[in-house]
Amino acid sequence: MEKTGELDSLTFAAMLRQGAVALGKEKNTVNDLNVFPIPDGDTGDNMHMTLKAGCAALKDNLGTLSEISSAASSGMLLGARGNSGVILSRIFAGLAKGLQGVIVADTQAFAKAMSSAVTEAYKAVPVPVEGTIITVLREGAAGADASADLNLYFETLLSAMQISLDHTPELLPVLKDAGVVDSGGAGLLCIFQGMNDALCGRISEEELAPVSTPSAPVVELDKFDENSTLEFGYCTEFLLRLMRSKIDLETFDEQVIIDYLNQVGESVVAFREGSIVKVHVHTFTPGVILNEMQQYGEFLTIKIENMSLQHHQSVNQNNASFKKPQQQYGIVAVASGEGLINAFRELGTDEVIAGGQTMNPSTQDFLDAFARINAQHILVFPNNSNIKMAADQAAGLYDKADIRVMPSTTIGEGYYGVGSVDRSLNDIEAVVESVNEIMQSVSTGMVSTAIRDAEGEGVTVHAGNFVGYCGKRILSASENRLEAAKALCERLDAASRDVLLVFFGQDVPEEEAEKLVADLTATYKNLEIMLNNGTQPVYDYIFVLC
Amino acid sequence: MLVFFSDTDCDITPKECAEYGIKMISMPYTIGDQVVYPYVDFEEFDDHKFYDMLRAGTMPTTSAMSEEAYCQYFEPEFQAGNDILYVHFSSGTSNTFTIMGQAVDKLLAKYPERKFYHIDTLGITALSYNIVLECADMYKAGKTAEEILEWAKVEVPKFPMYFFADDLKFFRRSGRVSGLAATMGGLIGIRPIIYLNDEGKMVSIGKEKGRAKALARLVQYVEELGEDVKAHRVLIGHTDCPEIVEEAKRLLKEKFGDDLNIMVNAVNPTIGSHCGPNAIGICFHAKHR
Repeated sequence: MEKTGELDSLTFAAMLRQGAVALGKEKNTVNDLNVFPIPDGDTGDNMHMTLKAGCAALKDNLGTLSEISSAASSGMLLGARGNSGVILSRIFAGLAKGLQGVIVADTQAFAKAMSSAVTEAYKAVPVPVEGTIITVLREGAAGADASADLNLYFETLLSAMQISLDHTPELLPVLKDAGVVDSGGAGLLCIFQGMNDALCGRISEEELAPVSTPSAPVVELDKFDENSTLEFGYCTEFLLRLMRSKIDLETFDEQVIIDYLNQVGESVVAFREGSIVKVHVHTFTPGVILNEMQQYGEFLTIKIENMSLQHHQSVNQNNASFKKPQQQYGIVAVASGEGLINAFRELGTDEVIAGGQTMNPSTQDFLDAFARINAQHILVFPNNSNIKMAADQAAGLYDKADIRVMPSTTIGEGYYGVGSVDRSLNDIEAVVESVNEIMQSVSTGMVSTAIRDAEGEGVTVHAGNFVGYCGKRILSASENRLEAAKALCERLDAASRDVLLVFFGQDVPEEEAEKLVADLTATYKNLEIMLNNGTQPVYDYIFVLC
Repeated sequence: MLVFFSDTDCDITPKECAEYGIKMISMPYTIGDQVVYPYVDFEEFDDHKFYDMLRAGTMPTTSAMSEEAYCQYFEPEFQAGNDILYVHFSSGTSNTFTIMGQAVDKLLAKYPERKFYHIDTLGITALSYNIVLECADMYKAGKTAEEILEWAKVEVPKFPMYFFADDLKFFRRSGRVSGLAATMGGLIGIRPIIYLNDEGKMVSIGKEKGRAKALARLVQYVEELGEDVKAHRVLIGHTDCPEIVEEAKRLLKEKFGDDLNIMVNAVNPTIGSHCGPNAIGICFHAKHR
């Protein structure tokens, strides 16, 4: 494909894939362009997974340029993770909008589509901030030469993007202070470089790793060992093609299958479409069922999973086949760490999406969670500013319930928010108001490990220090974790608060957490301190003060 | 002769029963399939052990007594030619008094010359305890049943009790408190303030963040509603939270002086089954509830 007067669907599909390959190689570099010395919101991973979800939606490349670009756009819309992923998905949605009805694009048509991408990207963020991915896109598109062929267009586009990216620290002081360029912009440039490679025929040999479905169940093999007893049986699902050689298709009543399944299994969902019967059943003896079924037909697909191994999330998914009565309020929250996830459940959260700093859930993850809840209103607690956009995007796509994305940017705000959803109130606005009110009165502090040197508010941080911070404000630093934690409490003015919830992370010994609580109790006489094992990653301690 | 009855839901102990000559009705609770009668099935109430069991997840239940059980308590007195004064816990919190009424009606039909008096303390635990002790003082001083009833008519509405608990699942399960928000506020340190109203029912009247504020509010009620507080006992009932009790004592003495007549009592297991561990309530003499 040396010669490129025009862009067709096959080329565009190859460009998207190569964009994903290029970003895949550079994603850690992009992740490291972090203004904050604590691992958070992995931009490279988020953009990469979002783009891969778009590529996965292309399937076999069939269709016009318009069809391919909109298929990629829908895939990315659902797969979008993190704010950068959501913006990226909107960029490609804009591109698809610009290519609508186009079978093959010439340079001018593609340039027009890029303007549409710019417009869409600026609409994606409520308050557009210059010096970010949108600036790089806009200045890149403006600097590209649309008068010649596509190769020249991309060449000029890339150099304009590079100039824009290099300039981002001038527009955003936080970037300058941290000595980095904008990570989202860098990710975008990387993608377009990959796209250009494909346009020029430089398609990388390596296969794209198969895209994992966003909510694939996490299997923990250790949960069923040599000494386990089969407690839950197997979640068994299959598609059975009814065969003319075995039964009379016209008169066969699938109720015999359903009746049989109900005798031998539980949670039966079975229905027939034409000559295919789709079955979901929980059973201790899947083999017996499969043998029985073969008298009616042959299998198209079979999936059998030991339910002791299934992640909690997927157990919930299976239970969704029971038609739950509609409740007035449903609650979705994002948290990571088994202890924190359980704490959110105990507090009344219907669906906890596993995720947080290091793994931002996708729009699709939110949509799946919504679908598992049968409620009139669903309150969503993203608990992280980098997750809210994916939640908002999901809310916009879901029409079976009234979705309210609450502005919880920390675990603490989310925890208090969920804890104050009063299900006895009939008015959703009153519920939202009381939740907002309590969330505003909460402050959340975190103790983590610095990955590089930094300057905080009156504290100097060395790489490897334990740092205490609140939002983006670094308030304490010490080589000693307990000291960093105690200093953080002081900086957060714990003495003026009434309740302190402490969630200790997976790397903290319980004795240390208990020692911390004992010390804090002695210091703050009027503070009620409640200790919880959050087992969360990244944060050694999460303090929630109210 | 007039025989004074009270029950274990009023927190009265065998020691005081002996001191005042009170007969005690034991109100049962059930753990698993085992029915336990306080001070019948055990001699001393080990409140720490009991509430630790609740902390570990045990959820006891309570049930009304049978008509026969009431007859077994009352009939021997009528047989012996005695009259009965029963000062009991709130009829607004249990249907056991309907059954008692039926038992008493039958007995009075059998012993028409006998008298049965009863005083509804419109309370539980420390509140009832306070009133039982006031009545017992009068009983010991030789007051008649009519005189004690006359006092109770005026004074029972003047003994409020305000309290809060740690874990609302106990209250929520028993469904005996109205006005509670349907949240898991206990897990985030939100403590609803509950009191017993003039009908002897438990009503939530607000909430506070954290134990310190909740306790301060209880003490504030004593200050604002109190009337002749120092002329009466101030009772602090608690479900195994001695540190909070000490703080409550400190705050009360700070406001009312060291000579304030404070009594601390462990909430009986039957009522404790409804409020769970780490609950504390203060009962005092007031203008009104």
